[in-house]
Amino acid sequence: MRAIVVGAGEVGFHIAERLSQEGHDVVLVESHRNRVRMVEERLNVLALEGSGAQAETLEQAGIRGCSLFIAVTDVDEVNLVACLLAREYRVPTKIARVKSIGYTGQRAVLNAEKLGIELLINPLEAVAQDLINISRHVAALEVAEFADGRIFFVGYPVADTNPVCGLSLAELRELQGMYPFLVAAITRGTQTIIPRGDDVIEAGDHVFLVMRTTDLPSVRYLFGFEKREVRRVFVLGGGPVGFRVAEHFEQAGLDVRVVEADRTVCESLADRLGRSVVLHADPTDVATLLAEGLAQADVVVAATDREETNILASLLARRHGARRALCLVDRPAYVSLVPTLGLDACISPRLSTASAILKYVRRGGILNMATIEENQAEVLEVRIPDKPAWLGTPLKALAFPAGAIVGAVVRGDDAFIPSGDTVLTPGDRVVVFALPDAVVRVEDFVGAP
Amino acid sequence: MNLRALAKVLGALSVFLGGVLLLPLPLSLWDGDGTWPALLGSAGFAAALGAGALRATGKGKPELTHREGFAVVTLGWVVFGVLGALPFRISGAVPTLVDAVFESFSGFTTTGASILTDIEALPRSLLLWRALTHWIGGMGIIVLGLAILPMLGVGGMQLFRAEVPGPTADRLSPRIQDTAKLLWGVYVGLTAAQVGLLLLGGLDWFDALCHSFATMATGGFSTRNASVGAFGSAYVDAVVTLFMFLAGMNFALHHAVLTGRGWKALKNEELRVYVGVTLGAILVLVVANAWRSYPGFLDNLRYSAFQAVSILTTTGFATADYEGWPFASQVLLVLLMFVGGSAGSTSGGMKVSRVMLLAKHGVVQVWSLIHPRGVRRVKMDGRPVPEAVLQGVLGFFALYLGAVGAGALGMAMLGVEPVTAVSAVISCVGNVGPALGGVGPAENYAHLPTAGKALLTFLMLLGRLEIFTVLALCFPSAWRR
Repeated sequence: MRAIVVGAGEVGFHIAERLSQEGHDVVLVESHRNRVRMVEERLNVLALEGSGAQAETLEQAGIRGCSLFIAVTDVDEVNLVACLLAREYRVPTKIARVKSIGYTGQRAVLNAEKLGIELLINPLEAVAQDLINISRHVAALEVAEFADGRIFFVGYPVADTNPVCGLSLAELRELQGMYPFLVAAITRGTQTIIPRGDDVIEAGDHVFLVMRTTDLPSVRYLFGFEKREVRRVFVLGGGPVGFRVAEHFEQAGLDVRVVEADRTVCESLADRLGRSVVLHADPTDVATLLAEGLAQADVVVAATDREETNILASLLARRHGARRALCLVDRPAYVSLVPTLGLDACISPRLSTASAILKYVRRGGILNMATIEENQAEVLEVRIPDKPAWLGTPLKALAFPAGAIVGAVVRGDDAFIPSGDTVLTPGDRVVVFALPDAVVRVEDFVGAP
Repeated sequence: MNLRALAKVLGALSVFLGGVLLLPLPLSLWDGDGTWPALLGSAGFAAALGAGALRATGKGKPELTHREGFAVVTLGWVVFGVLGALPFRISGAVPTLVDAVFESFSGFTTTGASILTDIEALPRSLLLWRALTHWIGGMGIIVLGLAILPMLGVGGMQLFRAEVPGPTADRLSPRIQDTAKLLWGVYVGLTAAQVGLLLLGGLDWFDALCHSFATMATGGFSTRNASVGAFGSAYVDAVVTLFMFLAGMNFALHHAVLTGRGWKALKNEELRVYVGVTLGAILVLVVANAWRSYPGFLDNLRYSAFQAVSILTTTGFATADYEGWPFASQVLLVLLMFVGGSAGSTSGGMKVSRVMLLAKHGVVQVWSLIHPRGVRRVKMDGRPVPEAVLQGVLGFFALYLGAVGAGALGMAMLGVEPVTAVSAVISCVGNVGPALGGVGPAENYAHLPTAGKALLTFLMLLGRLEIFTVLALCFPSAWRR
């Protein structure tokens, strides 16, 4: 498959890397010479210098045979025009990144449908949605829902106070009779593995579990996480992301406090928000925030547009008693730094956007997808096609691709965690956890296009 | 100040009033009550005065800036009030000129306070004129002028804003003249509906018409000494209660509902509070009066609801002498005089939306003590209220209380006893009508000292034009070029 990516910014670079790793022909169009050079040095893709909004450049990039077109430059209008051009060349799938809510909001006059673009993705929306998902679930590092919310995928950090710390998976399995869940992966340091029975959970690990959504409370109990609901949320930074997050939690009926250093932004927030408390203060001004109840915060979301401030502010919040701190960080160097600082999760607009785009690209046989841990692995929801060659074989005898594991099966209205004896039938939807190099093989195995 | 333009516009208004003064003339001739020379003379005087002013100022469209706007509105009302008093005085029905002017201003400002000791002794033509002053003053003489006098078109929004009650003025249509016509259309329609319903209740056409004029204008002049209570009909009480309530609503809402822009308009926050205040006031009165005034619940509800709505909308009709009610009821009624109806209605008082903004502003102030760094805005209908509007409301509140305080002191200095002095001033600034003490629903204003009547006349005008418009004229800089 040939894919054209316009814009070699962080999102574009990342997507090109992923697509080329999976064996696609990728052409990257970028207008800055330095970036073109950097792409040529670091990625196995064809880099073209030029504007993605010009037909000439796109012809050079081979748009006639192209089946996937992704425009992710920093300028909304360039992305839209590039996609409109791609539409003229009858590219089947076109994706544009737009930052303006004017195109992606519910009341958008000119929406994706009218523009004839398959997907308009708003990075701020994507990141706000990720922040919201993670903050809703106590202690979670990553969360994703599958099979219409019936299957839940969640990542937890393990500390030495945790009841499961030091147990091997075989020992854990004895408990699974009561609480059916599957340990899909363990991340230790920078390495993600799919564990076997003799692997032991250690302090500092991140474990990733697949379970039925209804079993979530008992699993949380097993892992020793308190049942306390999220009640008070501090949002640091009242930019578009902060506003979306605050608006969401306000509508969910939580006690929301938004901290913003700019007076005019504060006033505009106060105009648009309802019950939320808008505070005019610096996000790192701890004395003021403590007076406003930072110590009792269940979640602190640091979403200013300065990454350093986000890291510092969330560290301070944790230090003064906030129960969780989520942090918006985009620079790859910082993203890998955050787990070592003791922050609960970091969200990167670049990764959020890239995974939302990849999720869309993979649709077809794949119904739903989530990426975890700086894209070290993916969780896919796939439908078993009508007549696979391996029909009737139980899971333990199946030559399932190495680096991938079946986490859950949804059959009709029933969702369950499979055992080795489970036999997959056509029409089942399975939730598969896969390391990056196994993704394509999983797709091939289940016969997804 | 462009005095030429001012005189021209006032002249036009005066000629117009001359025309209106002819309306009761056919009734006077029909009844043969002998007031036709008074009516005709007044009309002729007004028309001659106006024509003279128009002639003296020559041709050309008057240029009205916002300064002339204040003057036109205030002096326009003075012209109407003074010329409208002529029939009362010339016919001899009212003993002094001050009394006549008081009655006329009370009519045009929709106050409904009267110096007549025996209303039923007046000829029908004069009673009709009394009701007409209400009806014309209710929707506003300038709004009426905008609708029919083309010369007012330029700078009309200034005039409109200076006269329409409430912190902000709604525009129903891009052209201000069309807005004025729409508002008058709704007003006429509702009046006609009430006349129909009252006729069904057995009133004759004269009583029905006069009471409808007084109800829709939230005025309160009746043709009977015992006010609406004279009819002794629960049906009439109910119809009048309903239409007083409707007259206290923002007319822009009536227009929205009548033109089918749906019930969505009724989600309006001020309307909900207005309904809430009305129901709350009725509830408190019912509870307080159940104690000793009305043993039967239905009687209690009938009289309590009527009086609550009558006072809240600043109409001032009475079906009961509430001075016999428990003290709690009386004090509540006085408090309701401060509130008044909705902005953009025909009622007086401070208006529900201003009271709401004051309350919300107070809440924000207390909230700011708890959250010193917090930023919070006062909102109405989910939208932030501009700082300027809020400042205006605070200033209005201060001036309103100042007017009440100064007026009450002035009345007391003229030797009026305290309860009467204070309540009469509250009632007149709020354009209500009846008050407590010597000027309760069963009494009238005739016995007050002449200077006191003059003071109250000024306060009625101050209240009707919402203070700012009138006070702006007191600044010398408003008159300088």
